Amino acid sequence: MSLTVDERWDLIDRISRETVTVGEYKETLTDVIGEITIKPMTGIPVVIASLYLFWSIFGSFAGFFTDGFFVKFFDQYWLPWWQLHFPDTWEWLYYIVVGDPLADNCLEAFGMLTSGLFVAIGVVLPAIFIFYLMLTLLEDVGYLPRLAVLIDTILHKIGLHGYAIVPTILSLGCNVPGVAATRILETRKERFVMMTLLAIFVPCGAQLGIMQQVIPETMGLVLLYLVIGYFVTGFVLSRIIPGKSPEILMDVPPYQKPLLRNVALKIWMRMREFFTSAIPFVLLGVLMVNVLYLAGFIQWLSSTLSPLFVYWFGVPEATVGPLIAAFLRKDLAVAQLSVIEMTWYQMVTAVVLVSIYFPCLATFIMLLREGWTELLGSLAVLIVVVTVYGGFVHLVGILAGVA
Amino acid sequence: MKVLLMGHPNVGKSVVFNRFTGVDVITSNYPGTTVEYSEGSMRAEGEEVTVIDVPGTFSLEPKDKAEEVAVEMLEKEKDAVVISVVDASKIERGLYLTLEIIERGYPVVLALNMWDMAKHKGLNIDVNRLSEILGIPVVPTTAVSGEGINKLASVLKSARPVEVETISGRAGGRA
Repeated sequence: MSLTVDERWDLIDRISRETVTVGEYKETLTDVIGEITIKPMTGIPVVIASLYLFWSIFGSFAGFFTDGFFVKFFDQYWLPWWQLHFPDTWEWLYYIVVGDPLADNCLEAFGMLTSGLFVAIGVVLPAIFIFYLMLTLLEDVGYLPRLAVLIDTILHKIGLHGYAIVPTILSLGCNVPGVAATRILETRKERFVMMTLLAIFVPCGAQLGIMQQVIPETMGLVLLYLVIGYFVTGFVLSRIIPGKSPEILMDVPPYQKPLLRNVALKIWMRMREFFTSAIPFVLLGVLMVNVLYLAGFIQWLSSTLSPLFVYWFGVPEATVGPLIAAFLRKDLAVAQLSVIEMTWYQMVTAVVLVSIYFPCLATFIMLLREGWTELLGSLAVLIVVVTVYGGFVHLVGILAGVA
Repeated sequence: MKVLLMGHPNVGKSVVFNRFTGVDVITSNYPGTTVEYSEGSMRAEGEEVTVIDVPGTFSLEPKDKAEEVAVEMLEKEKDAVVISVVDASKIERGLYLTLEIIERGYPVVLALNMWDMAKHKGLNIDVNRLSEILGIPVVPTTAVSGEGINKLASVLKSARPVEVETISGRAGGRA
């Protein structure tokens, strides 16, 4: 037999009266820190400080390994070795595997074993390693739910619960777990809005890493455009998509000391994922782009789409090529953009376009798993957003006199 | 034998799962880390046991997709033993879901997880009396350090379905 809700609580009340006694509670340092980080007056400065700390560690760690070691190694030893030793019997094969025989750095060469491995291992690997280390610590300490409480008011303005910050932050590592995490949102509307925003506006760790490397000065502007786009689009979507964004009560767990074993394990799992699925995709991406270039397809597509790109987005038609690679890996696309001749503002526009245009294949599959309607809806929103927002970024450039 | 790990979000089900099976699923300190189920196996009392880590749910009336998965798992595994993992420091809330599962006729074992935290908060739970009233095995655990995990595995076999009326009869206060 089953009880009604009231009967059940009544029974629990009787059981606990007999078995649970509450002793004296002493406030500890953890509780004090818990309070400080959740009250807006002190909590918001803590958020800003943490973001800043996160960002500077990310930049300096990734920069230390990439500039200090990998760039030198790849450009001075790795690339020349392949350029010299790879048989040039078949020109096309040389082009696909090694790339440009005259290139003097691994971004320009664009061969599978040169640029592909440089981007994957030299740039992205250190970036996502440090990113995941910090993310894991934030997760295990228990900071994310507090962040959710702090940001709740702002996110409600775009029809999302504060908890939406969790999928957003996870997406900054990789969009795939970010999309999976939307399942804890209550309504279909909230999930749809969240997934769409993630897929369009949240750059992944790999992309952050490569941006840090190739456009360090203007990266801030790119991110600003993405953040604005996230909120504006969320604001619009929350008004036109039918459904509710209910309030939910949320548990804020006590802070805990991260366990070394657990942190190590999570980083290991995420790095293994990177080696087994990301690196093959980067190499595959280079292969695909090179084959399409050799076949003349990209040149054809570039000139066909030229009016849209040149007049509407204000970027060179050559940026169409990287958008093809972006379908597989966004990091690769940004690397490809970095060697195209253009002004700094065009570069900003192009990187914003790469970010907001089609989600990478892995994210696409993840969206598909959440349902056809969700996927098609997201894609419809995406097409509108890319067109409108891309044009908007161009317009801002024109008004500011930089485009 | 099949064992389902059920409980509220962020009570440590995945940590218990990792301890049991040696299979590593991602665990974190935020509610909703697990949104899909994972399966692993262990040996308990010489028997092969399949363990399923179920996403957290507050009740058996699902409110989101992760909770739907949890309820579907429970309904699919008619013969499973359920380990109801509760945060010992919020035991009343955990008991709600536990009772719901008991009412559906499942043999249940209650794991009072985060026992260290509850003690630290000055909470005292009479484990024996609780087990007597509920008529099911009750084990205090601290999954992150592994405390109580072996005990938990060893009592699985003694779990039996209980009628909620009998529980009500054994509990004190007005009937």
